[in-house]
Amino acid sequence: MTRKIFFVLNGISVHVETDPARRALDVLREDMGLTGTKEGCGRGECGGCSILVDGEVKLSCIMTAAQLEGKDIVTIEGVCGEGDLHPVQRSFIERGAVQCGFCTPGMVISSVAFLNANPSPAREEIREALSGNLCRCTGYQKIVDAVEDAAKKMHGGGRDG
Amino acid sequence: MKDEVRQFPGGPRLDALSKVTGREKYAADYYSGKFLWAGAKRALVPHARLASVHAEDALSLPGVVRVLTYRDIAGSNRTGIARNDQPVIADEKVRHAGDAVALVLAESREILRAALGRVSFDHEPLPGVFDAEDALKEGAPRVHEDNEKGNLLRAVTVRKGDAERALDESDVVVEGAFETSRQEHAYLETEAGWAFVDERGVLTVVASTQTPYRDRSEIARALGLDMEKVRVVAPYLGGAFGGKDGINVQCLLGLAALHSDGVPVKMWWDRTESFLAGMKRLPARMYYRLGAKMDGTFHGLSCRIYFDAGAYATLGGEVMAMGAEHAASVYRIANVSIDGYCSYTNNPIGGPFRGFGVPQVTFAMEQAVDMMAERLCMDPLEIRRRNVIRRGEKNCLGVELKYSTGIGECIERLMEHPFWKERQAWKSAAPKWKKRGIGMGCMGHAVGYPSLIPDQANTRLDLRSDGTICLYSGLPDLGQGNASTYLRIAAAILGQDPEAMELVQPDTDHDLPSGTSSASRTTYTFGNAVINAAQALRDVILGRAGTILDISDPGRAVLLPGKVRDEASGREVSLTVIARFLNDEERTQKGYFRAPYDESTIGIFYLGAHLLFSYGAHLARVEVDTVTGGIDVIDYVAVTDAGTVIDPVVYDQQVHGSVAQGIGLALTEDYLVSDGRHDTTGLSTYIIPTSMDLPDITSVPVETFEETGPFGMKGIGEVVISGCLPAISNAFHDACGMRITKSPLTPERVLSALARKGEVGK
Amino acid sequence: MGEVFLPGSLREVFDLLSGEPEALLYAGGTDLFVRSSLEEGGGKPLVCLERVEGLKGISDHGDEIRIGGCTTHSELIRSRLVREHFPLLMHAARRIGAPAVRNMGTIGGNICTASPAGDTLPPLYIFDAFVELCSAGRARRVPISEFITGPGQTALERGEVLSAICLKKDHGCTFFHFEKVGQRKAMAISVASFAFAAGINGDGMIRKARCAFGSVAPTVFTSSNIDRCFIDKPMDEDTLRQAALLVRSEVSPISDVRASEGYRRSVAGNLVMRLEDLVRDTG
Repeated sequence: MTRKIFFVLNGISVHVETDPARRALDVLREDMGLTGTKEGCGRGECGGCSILVDGEVKLSCIMTAAQLEGKDIVTIEGVCGEGDLHPVQRSFIERGAVQCGFCTPGMVISSVAFLNANPSPAREEIREALSGNLCRCTGYQKIVDAVEDAAKKMHGGGRDG
Repeated sequence: MKDEVRQFPGGPRLDALSKVTGREKYAADYYSGKFLWAGAKRALVPHARLASVHAEDALSLPGVVRVLTYRDIAGSNRTGIARNDQPVIADEKVRHAGDAVALVLAESREILRAALGRVSFDHEPLPGVFDAEDALKEGAPRVHEDNEKGNLLRAVTVRKGDAERALDESDVVVEGAFETSRQEHAYLETEAGWAFVDERGVLTVVASTQTPYRDRSEIARALGLDMEKVRVVAPYLGGAFGGKDGINVQCLLGLAALHSDGVPVKMWWDRTESFLAGMKRLPARMYYRLGAKMDGTFHGLSCRIYFDAGAYATLGGEVMAMGAEHAASVYRIANVSIDGYCSYTNNPIGGPFRGFGVPQVTFAMEQAVDMMAERLCMDPLEIRRRNVIRRGEKNCLGVELKYSTGIGECIERLMEHPFWKERQAWKSAAPKWKKRGIGMGCMGHAVGYPSLIPDQANTRLDLRSDGTICLYSGLPDLGQGNASTYLRIAAAILGQDPEAMELVQPDTDHDLPSGTSSASRTTYTFGNAVINAAQALRDVILGRAGTILDISDPGRAVLLPGKVRDEASGREVSLTVIARFLNDEERTQKGYFRAPYDESTIGIFYLGAHLLFSYGAHLARVEVDTVTGGIDVIDYVAVTDAGTVIDPVVYDQQVHGSVAQGIGLALTEDYLVSDGRHDTTGLSTYIIPTSMDLPDITSVPVETFEETGPFGMKGIGEVVISGCLPAISNAFHDACGMRITKSPLTPERVLSALARKGEVGK
Repeated sequence: MGEVFLPGSLREVFDLLSGEPEALLYAGGTDLFVRSSLEEGGGKPLVCLERVEGLKGISDHGDEIRIGGCTTHSELIRSRLVREHFPLLMHAARRIGAPAVRNMGTIGGNICTASPAGDTLPPLYIFDAFVELCSAGRARRVPISEFITGPGQTALERGEVLSAICLKKDHGCTFFHFEKVGQRKAMAISVASFAFAAGINGDGMIRKARCAFGSVAPTVFTSSNIDRCFIDKPMDEDTLRQAALLVRSEVSPISDVRASEGYRRSVAGNLVMRLEDLVRDTG
């Protein structure tokens, strides 16, 4: 049983013909070839598969393909503008927030959505915003540093800076 | 080489860009054209005699291509490092719940999942054994009938002086029984790979592995192939921490690819399977007696330690031996008796995990040290400083520490820290319902392999005909950034911009066996090989540049990004031009290194002793909630001696990550199994810290200069984790005046300890 | 695998349910696909409620607030109406999962899942919430305590959808407290939780008190015995100690992989003790 699902993926209108009960995550990775969105648990417990759906962070491992219909989807591959890195990505690189990198796409997605809504967050607010994205390498400290730094890049000032 | 540290090129990690954009291709990210999914049917019973496997029902499902069993394996069907005891697919017996009993090939992930549900098997359940000490008792069910020593996988002993007499002579003796939990690695990228048989008939396995060269021989042996017919490629890993030190998907994938009619095969364990079949930190039970003289001098130590290896050997015996070697922590003790045992059980497989046996014993020893300080009414840091081992002294094996030994300085640094000096004021400012405490833990960790195992590395640096420089790695990057560091090391010596250089990830086709990406050795050992290769290439380039530029004194030529310059004349020649004047052999320079070893120690300890150690001293400030029993780590200071800090960012990444895993180990991480059945099944029941559960960590380097290390560094990957469990346990004791000797210190254990003393809600 | 429907109106939902009586309803998927991953669904048709117009939004109806069944936890937290009239519900919603889970999970889903650990449930019990159930033929309102009949069990009938939650504004409480004990500070399932609301007179005497506990009984635990023991007393150690004793004797928790029965029992009582300071702090 397949059907055509139409949605906007990283700014481009696309459609995919697939079984609507497949996971949105698998459609993105296998059918669309966007392997930047990671699977760490398959149960909505780790945040590795985070994507933006109409600007909100959602977990693509617990979404059906059908739910992509008509939505504006942004994956890690679509976070940056034409050629330019997103400030969050630049800060992640500069502040040493990347180790194995497997949680990184989800972390970046969560950070982008968070900073769009909270231009000058306190450190504790950043920790809360990222609390659904598990990381096993970094202890989160440099990731929090990076998001603080990105806030300054994007909005010219963190709460204490 | 001290001067060159200053020239070590800084800047962001070279792998960060591809990872932050989602472009980096991990083993889990291979999908190409037509391919099949492979998946294992897991036993889910801990111990059983296997009768028959029923595949018909699965095969009747459209899209199911094959169901393979051990009968389809041409080779030994056995993998293993110390012992060859683990089947690729179970044949006679199931020995733990995660054993594979069949391998299914299907056209999609969804069909595979449905098919696995339709494979069934007949078995006769056997009584199991689930405790390391019970396993050694007479009449315990045997996990491996062919093991001559029953369920004893490995035993080691250390005897130095006369520990029993020393304990009798001691003014104070403290004793305790300590237990640590089964810790799951919980890397974000579960086990994954991709395999195919290429046009040469070579089985190629791309896997998330720490050990490509060893995997190649294991795959060949288990599946009955010539080594030349197996190739293993290791892309960047999505975390490993020791959990990918050995075979997980590799042999199953290889077997699948041999039966896929030339179509590539993908395997990617889901989280439940990763938990079921993957390795865990070996739980340990440890009985300690420590004796001291009235002035605080440690006089004797006697301990027995039992490690639970689970169903297969992997490196469990070696983990236990490493624990025994570090059982006295960082102290000079004249009389030592250590008995270490590692048992087979029907529990999940134990194996390497950052720390490799040391966090377990450090939990015991460092609490015993605190108990001693309390009995002697001494400052816990002072008693440590008094007994700490210094360079030139002998450790608990009797091996002289000839290399950099900065643990004394680490302790002294902690003594100066405001958190230590102002501890009373901080404690007395505890809010209502909270008790505050400050604790410390010291630790050492050996760098590299023990003396009997050659700790060596091979690398290759190419100056390509287009003038670019390419470095071939022999050791996978698990996420710690060694690949980036290798490029920086080469760049530092060759005067190049590391971003303009290229790194090729490990591939057994390159024939650069370098051991395993483990044992805190990746930068130390391989980095030295890179230095040797880079120096050789530098000499070749400068020599040829000298000819081209007609420089009489080659000492005046300097390597600059993309070129060589004659400082005297100002004339320059590009690397592209130099490359044209070199033949293929000259443009390829190899580097080899073998770490120091001491054959004389082979007689005194299993596999010989380690010679070089990194060190650390930690301080934790904790708040205990007397309402819930929850412990919050408020502040954490990690002082580390890992030699020179060549890259402060990568250094702190290791410190932060280790402390995070250490805090998890101390407070929440406990993989629960009852009678061999897994109660923990996913990341909602295996509790690793989130970003809200960890404090900011203060990392304080004590920069000894290690003469044998690249630019003076030594391994930092593991040492840090061992300090957390004792620091937090000792801090809990400081807060509440009672000890919890079984980790993790869960709210439940804390609350019942508080209840025993009537301290709940105080 | 099965079909997935994305109805846009309740009318469509009812039509679908009459044609596909076996269909599984879901909103955020944070329970259904977490308990058994999407791939284990068994091929039953799925009806995703996320786009049903009539199930969204929080509205003011004079003496009561109406929360659409598919209101996400994030929307609850952001709602001015909820913050103003039912801050307890906002506090509880903030402790659910993490941002992405709160962006997906809904209050209706939390109720229909009927887990004793559902974090929005204790406040809803305290405020005597009604759930509004709609089917093709009728609509009915049921008190939440009657709607949830056991762990994972509700009075939802075949063909029915939980369309809204209705909360009366005149609850008469001015002091609120919510505490969740989980195994970590985010992405945690409650080991025990405690919601409390009270009306306190000017002289510090308690006029009205309501307690509700999560994860310590088959469903959310409330007790008029316990609520009564606060009345006409100050929020002092004596009062709370008595209440805590009652709590420990009345709850009926179980042991599972997260905590033992004994721990849940003692912590449930302990959580009450913490009120003493909080009241003092709020003046």
